[in-house]
Amino acid sequence: MAASTLAPKLGVAGLDKYFGSLEALRDINLAIADGEFISIVGPSGCGKTTFLRIVAGLEGASGGEVRIDGEMVKKPGIDRGFVFQSDNLLPWRTVFANTLIGPEVAGTADAGARRRVVDLLKLVGLGGFEQYFPRQLSGGMRQRVNLARALAVDPKILLMDEPFAALDAQTREIMQTELTRIWEQGRKTVLFVTHQIDEAVFLSDRIFVFARRPGRIREVVTVDLPRPRALALKRTPDFVRYVDHIWRLIEEDVRESVLVDKE
Amino acid sequence: MRHSGASVSLLSIVGGLLIWEGISRFGVDNALFLAAPSQILYAIWQLALAGDLWRHIEISGIEFILGYVIAAILGIAVGLLMAESNRAKRILQPWISGIYATPTIALAPLFLLWLGIGIWSKVIVVITLVIFTVIINTEAGLRTTSSRLIEMLRSFGASRSQIFWKLSLPSAAPFVLAGLKLGIGRGLIGVVVAELFGSRAGLGQLISQSADSFNMPNLFAAVVVLATAGIVMTAGFSWLEKRLVPWTRD
Repeated sequence: MAASTLAPKLGVAGLDKYFGSLEALRDINLAIADGEFISIVGPSGCGKTTFLRIVAGLEGASGGEVRIDGEMVKKPGIDRGFVFQSDNLLPWRTVFANTLIGPEVAGTADAGARRRVVDLLKLVGLGGFEQYFPRQLSGGMRQRVNLARALAVDPKILLMDEPFAALDAQTREIMQTELTRIWEQGRKTVLFVTHQIDEAVFLSDRIFVFARRPGRIREVVTVDLPRPRALALKRTPDFVRYVDHIWRLIEEDVRESVLVDKE
Repeated sequence: MRHSGASVSLLSIVGGLLIWEGISRFGVDNALFLAAPSQILYAIWQLALAGDLWRHIEISGIEFILGYVIAAILGIAVGLLMAESNRAKRILQPWISGIYATPTIALAPLFLLWLGIGIWSKVIVVITLVIFTVIINTEAGLRTTSSRLIEMLRSFGASRSQIFWKLSLPSAAPFVLAGLKLGIGRGLIGVVVAELFGSRAGLGQLISQSADSFNMPNLFAAVVVLATAGIVMTAGFSWLEKRLVPWTRD
């Protein structure tokens, strides 16, 4: 990925986070260029979700700063679109009305936004399901609405917090290919948090591998695999080499966390 | 399965009525103690023809509707206030918990003394019986708003009032409706008992007057009318719930 001479899409400098006396994140520094797909992987307790929530403005930082296009992030806003782990759909709203909630909150739910929502639902494969209610949809379909809802505000950066973690293995793989397909069309900047290494390698341009106690960046891995990517890529030696490399980076941490959790 | 379940229930009701009819005709056989379903139906028919029934239903109906509507509006308003303001909750909660646990129906004679024999003493009794279930349910419904959904709205920069209108209120709706549904039965009890303590007309008055003259068919006629009103209104509410808050169905 060529380094941009402009301000990065997302710039994080000297970010610290404490929960009381617990040091959750220490001195996080990173710069993400426009259109990059970035994943953050790490063992549980490495602060990856906390980091994403700070970027979203849902959580405050204890020190350091987060900038999007050079502007400081202080609170949530529609320059970022957040895709939650649970779909968080409003059960009394249709798929269409759920997707429109962001523009509605921002006061931009005009005819243009409505057309955009219709197009987005087509893009995520839910054309024709506009008037369905969440209870009539499968888990995979609800996550598609979750994604469309975040895209509906046309954010500068998409923040995704383990959005496929609750899905079964087959649905998850399909959603991964769907996400690359959708991403290829708009090339939006994405920050994707996951604990699944193969998911991160499959989706990303670069992977930030986090270590735990305190949460910090251990290594940045650039994934040099051709695009567009299909599921068959997961069986190639190159792909497996990336997965092995990242697994070795976090193996010790994971073993440790398993032991700690057993106590 | 559903169909056969419904016919079993119907059979149960018809069977029960037949047994009742049999006992009162051949077992008790004394109209001073028990009226047969056929006699009750005949009594309702007679009362309706004479016009008495409509007068009683009208008075009780007005008392119930006035009390119920006032209790619903005030109850929802107080519930909203308590959910939105912790100070209001601290001030009101002990009173509401205390009065809710008290059998306020026992205060009916007092209201009669204060407000006289007319409809307002009954309206007040209905209000005291209905309002607390509405307050408690509204408040609980608003306070149990999902924190995950709040966060979803916050991620788009939603304000407090947007979260209230777009999330808290609709997610509290099933609780509010459940409170209002519970209030129907309580309100009907309020009307009847308040009328028993003293009234010029109404179904409760019909009951007490019939009891005084040992007219069992008329007494049961009033009870059947009240039961029908309760069943119809509760069923209406269930229908309304299906229409208004369909997402609570599994």
